[in-house]
Order: sequence, then C-alpha cells, then structure tokens
Amino acid sequence: MTHLSQNEKFEYESIQDNVSVRDFIQSLLDGIEHGRIILQSNEDEIIMHPNNLLKFTVKARKKEDQSRLNIKVSWKETKLAAITKPKSLTATA
Amino acid sequence: MLNFEGIDENLKFIVMETQTQVGAILDLLRMPSTSGYEKIVPRDDYIDNLKNIIESNCVAKLTAEKNLSKEDINEIRAIQIIGNNLERIADYCVNISRQMGYMDNPEFIHEFDYETVFPKISESISRSYTVLKDRNLAGALTICRVEYELDEWYKVSFDAIMERLKVGQNIQNLITVLFIFRYLERIGDALLNIGEALILAIIGEKIKIHQFQALQETLSRSGFEGTLDELDVHSILGSRSGCIINRLEQRRSNWSQAQESIFKECNLSKIRREKNNLELWAEKYPGLAPKILGYYEEGDKGALLVQFLAGRTLDEVILNAAEEHLHNAFFILKQVLEEVWLATRQDGPIDTDYLKQIRARLPQIHHVHENFSRPMNQGTIKVASSEELLSACAEIESRLLSPFAVLIHGDFNVNNVVYNHELQQIHFVDLYRSRYADYVQDVSVFLISNFRIPIFDEVLRSRLNWIIEKFYEFSSQLALSWQDRTFNARLALALARSFYTSTRYELNKEFAKEMYLRAHFLMEKVAGHHGTGRPWEEFSLPISVLYY
Repeated sequence: MTHLSQNEKFEYESIQDNVSVRDFIQSLLDGIEHGRIILQSNEDEIIMHPNNLLKFTVKARKKEDQSRLNIKVSWKETKLAAITKPKSLTATA
Repeated sequence: MLNFEGIDENLKFIVMETQTQVGAILDLLRMPSTSGYEKIVPRDDYIDNLKNIIESNCVAKLTAEKNLSKEDINEIRAIQIIGNNLERIADYCVNISRQMGYMDNPEFIHEFDYETVFPKISESISRSYTVLKDRNLAGALTICRVEYELDEWYKVSFDAIMERLKVGQNIQNLITVLFIFRYLERIGDALLNIGEALILAIIGEKIKIHQFQALQETLSRSGFEGTLDELDVHSILGSRSGCIINRLEQRRSNWSQAQESIFKECNLSKIRREKNNLELWAEKYPGLAPKILGYYEEGDKGALLVQFLAGRTLDEVILNAAEEHLHNAFFILKQVLEEVWLATRQDGPIDTDYLKQIRARLPQIHHVHENFSRPMNQGTIKVASSEELLSACAEIESRLLSPFAVLIHGDFNVNNVVYNHELQQIHFVDLYRSRYADYVQDVSVFLISNFRIPIFDEVLRSRLNWIIEKFYEFSSQLALSWQDRTFNARLALALARSFYTSTRYELNKEFAKEMYLRAHFLMEKVAGHHGTGRPWEEFSLPISVLYY
C-alpha cells in the first residue's frame, strides 16, 4: 500500500449503468454526511474527512455527441488542533 | 513588470477609481443631479489618498532598497508619475462638477459636443496599467496622442463658443462651458505626462522625480510652528477612509513625547464626526481614545491633531509579537470591551442594518468583481439568487432586533486597536463611525478584519484563527449571560455583510471569491432557519465559516 504524505491521490474510472452510479454516489454522500470517506485500491488508500464547510461546484456541458456533468466537492484542511493555542513564532525561524 | 508589494495593487485601484470618476462626470454632464455631485467629492479624497500611498511606497522603495537596477528605478518613478497625474485628472473632475453649479440651465451644455472626448480619456486611463505591465510602447504613444486629439477638439469647441459669445446671449452659460472644456483639455495634458512616464519605464529615459507637494502642503497647514526640516514624518499612513494621516514627531530632543501626534485631514463632515466621537469617548471611557490636541476647519476640510498613542496595532501583535504579549493584549481587550459595553448599555430593542450596508456597497463590490452576484438557478437544483437572499434576509433582519444598544467603535478593525505592552493598555483609534448600535456590528467587523488579512502562512494563519476562535467564544458567552437570544442569527447576517463588503478591497480573486461564497452560505443558513419556523435562539452559527 502506498501512502504519500503530501499529495495522496486516488483515481477510479469505469463504465456503469445508472443504478450502479447512483449506489456509488450514495456511498459518497453517506461519507460526506459522516465526515469520513475511504477510497482504496490495491495499491493506494486515501482517507478523507470532509468537514462542514465544503466548496461545491456543479458544471454541466452538453455537446452533440457527448454530455458531461462535473460535480466537485473540495474543502480546506483547517487544522483545528492548531487553533487551541497560538503557535509560537519561533517555529518559523 | 516588477511586483512591488502594495504599489501594484494601489495603482490598479487608483486607475479604477479615476476611471469611475471620469464616468461619473460624464453622467453628471448628461444628467445633472445633486446625488451625482455628492459622490464625486468623497471619491476624490479616496483618490488623493491612493496617490499619497503610491507616492510614499515608491519613495520608500527608492530609498530603502540599495540594489535596484536602473530599470527598477525608472519603473518606480513612472508609477509615481502615473499616480500623480491620475489624481490630477480626478481633481479636474471635481472642478468640472463644481462648474456645473454656475450654469443657470445645466442642459445648455448639450448644445456642444463633449461626448466624443470621454471614451478617449476613459480608455487612456484604463490602459495606463496594462501598457506598463506589458511594456507596450505603442500603447504608451497612443496615450500621448490623446493629448493632441483633445487639443484639436478644444480648438474647435473654443471657436464655436466664441462665435456664440458674439451673439451676446447666454454669456454665463457659455463661459462656464468654456471653463469645463478647458479642464477636459487639461486632462489631456495629464494624460501626456502619463504617456511620457510610461515611455520612461519602457525605454528608460530619465526624468525628474516630482516633489512631495501634497505632503508639504499638509504639513504647512498642520498648525505646527516649527519649520519643515524640524519634523520627522514617520510614515504616511493610508487608509481607505479617504483621510490623509501623518505621524509627526519633533526632532529636537527637548520636545516631550506628549508632543508626538497624529495629524488627520479629511472632509468636514467626517472630521467633525470624529471629533465629536472622541469627545464622547473621553467622557464615557477616559483614556481609551486619543486626546484631541488641536482642531481647525477651513472651507470644506477639517483637520484634527490628536495624541499619538505609543504601542502596536493589534494585528501587529497577533502576527509578530511573543505569545505572552498576545495573551495579555487579548485579555485586556476583553476586559475593556466588557466594561464599555456594560457601562454604555441602553435598553432596546433596536434595529440593525446589516443588509442595508451590503446593498449600499454593492456597486463598489461589482466595480471590483463584476460577477459577484449570483443568478437564480432553477430546475433539478434550485438555488436562490443573491438578490433573493438579500431581500429574504433583509425581511428577517427587520424582525431580529438587538435587545440593547452600546457605544460601538463603528470600524472595529483589528488594526484600529492599539496595544501598549509597557503600560498594559488598550486604545481605540479611528472612531469617526462610533455610535450607539448593536455590539454585534463590532464583533463581526473584528472577526472578519482578522479573517481577511491575506496571509496564508500556516503558522501566522493559525494565530489569526486563534484570535478569531477566542473572540467568538468571548462575545458569544457574554451574549449568553446577557440573554441575548438572537445573537448568533444577527452575527450571521453581520458576518455576511463583512464578508461580502470586504471583497471590494481584495484583488486576490480566489480569496475574494471565498469571502463572497461564505457571505452567501451564511445568508442561506439564516433563510433556511427562518423556513423551519424554529425560534432564533436555536439558530446554530456554522463556526467553521470563520476560519481559513
């Protein structure tokens, strides 16, 4: 299992019918609601903790031969632990 | 183009504001109105101020940095000349607007062609920034040529006016039109200076740096008896309030520290308000606000000389000071606020106007960020437009009264709080917006003034997040103990206001958008809660919206 500390990545590409896509999205929705999404393949694993301030973008595009619906959910990893106490500036020196 | 911190952004702003001023003059000529005239003068103060900031930044850069190349130096000089001449153009705009008052029939001017010159002027102003950035010599020459075109137009107009004067009617109107056209012709001269400065930056021909005329004038009018060379002007502090602010210090050692002072010159109504507010604060909470050392009025300007308060502004403390200082500063701030709010509390209920404040600033927001208004989305996904949210929240706000009023700071930015570590004192400065109002206004402005500091370094950001968290904790606990049941709901609206209106000062598109989106998120939350019919004390403020 690869575990990258800086930029963890996961990618999944497939052909599905509408019911399977719904199921997949549904499990992502459950993950968003509970603040934990685990994506795992043979080599990589990524655990995400969506918080309750999410940037949500929907983009749609329709062309003659192909349509595309992009749904993007992103968020900032605000380190809440860091704000219980102001960090000492010496850390940057 | 070089990225000179602070200069570049202010140059963009002065270009934009001067262009707006020229547009406002065209509107005024087309359709004269008192409200049109009243907007021109305050904007001119802001432009003056931007010019001063650019000027002082340029000079600071030239004096502080030893390793500047000849190209760098030329560019800094060019930026300074551009700033000066844009400000001059803005002054001519004010003069034109004043001339309009001398016409007994303002529509008389429509008998002459003034429309053709405006697109040329406006385009030259707006291009001055991109020409510099792209080192576009042809663009610089085009700007220079506009002066020639304006001269040509002026000659034709001048002759036409002379012909009409011979008839002997409408003398006053004709002469006023002539004066107005003369100012437009002089705008051409200023554009030529800008064009020449651009050429200097692009091909590197030397020119003379302009003197600090505005500053010298200000100093000579300050009421100080000493001569200019006895004064150290420590900094020319700019603020977006449109005031000119200088810190003055006597060089001679026999002057006591008490004579260090801040000199502030502003339009009359603003400076009078500040003076009255300083007196009110001196009565309610002596020592918190600076003492008034001198005051004078002249024409439509007023000037105030106030005590210089030694210490550091709170943003400096948050970003630079040792933890102990930060903790002390925050501890004292909390104490002072609680005391002030308790001592000045007047039972209500009172109205708030957060949504009205957003509406009043929408034109400026859209001027900087055209697309910061959301259309309505219908269909599978339904999303309320900005307009719908603003209306819905205004309606909600009218019923969300504050249970009491306190004497608020009115512009409670983190940099309007001064902390003196040696004396363990907190002071408030810039009090011209002080009034009896909902304390949530100050809470919100304070929180967002920390949020919007464009610093993204993890350690510094965590300090900003820390003060935000602690300040929210402090104010919400007070609200709870005072049984202020709608605190969180009012705060959500006030925060929406602070986020939305802060975008007009933020040119970092991504960061500005973040604030714009957060404002909408908060308005949606408030509107959503209203839809549930549950009492407002159950409204839960999404605290994460405060952290970046």
